[in-house]
Amino acid sequence: MRNHLKTLRSARNWSQGDLADELGVSRQSINAIETGKYDPSLPLAFRIARLFEQHIEDVFDDGINEAKET
Amino acid sequence: MPSITFKDAQRRYQKAFAPVMVFYVIFCFAGPVLLQSMLEPPLWVVSLVAIMTALPIAGVFLLVIRLLRETDEYTRKVQTDAILVGGAITLSVTVMWAFLELFEAVPRHDNFPSMILVAPLFFAMWGLAYVFQARHRR
Repeated sequence: MRNHLKTLRSARNWSQGDLADELGVSRQSINAIETGKYDPSLPLAFRIARLFEQHIEDVFDDGINEAKET
Repeated sequence: MPSITFKDAQRRYQKAFAPVMVFYVIFCFAGPVLLQSMLEPPLWVVSLVAIMTALPIAGVFLLVIRLLRETDEYTRKVQTDAILVGGAITLSVTVMWAFLELFEAVPRHDNFPSMILVAPLFFAMWGLAYVFQARHRR
């Protein structure tokens, strides 16, 4: 699943460690999510979206809508 | 938000791990010294010393279980994968070794039971599996 976590984090000038501390998770978790190697659970995805004051689908994109349009 | 953060879970684990290991090292050295100081130690003393020496290993497993329950979901997934791989390798090797001993393909040492190596082998395999998977995740 693609996501805009890195862009949102960079906009706030946060390091991966800063974001990890905000969410109470490991820095490795943030790195794995940003690089698409790990898809977060729904509760963690909601926490990420709320932290950045975004809708969950504005942070995470499963590519379904894109596939429908083409 | 989980009730405990990743860093708090790590701290709780490390704080409890150190005294458990101290207890283990003390019993590893003090146990044999105590038994040798007695001419004919009764069976219950020998059994108690053996169990007390091994008890910290059970303690480490309880700490690991608590850590896995308290840590963040990604760490839990990565560590659980490594534990599964480490456990599978350990069980495969020990079963193979058991049959080798049974068929007398390898010598059996009465003074050094091979079962004592199972826990260290598991921890080593768990560590190797973690490092191997970490390299693959890059």
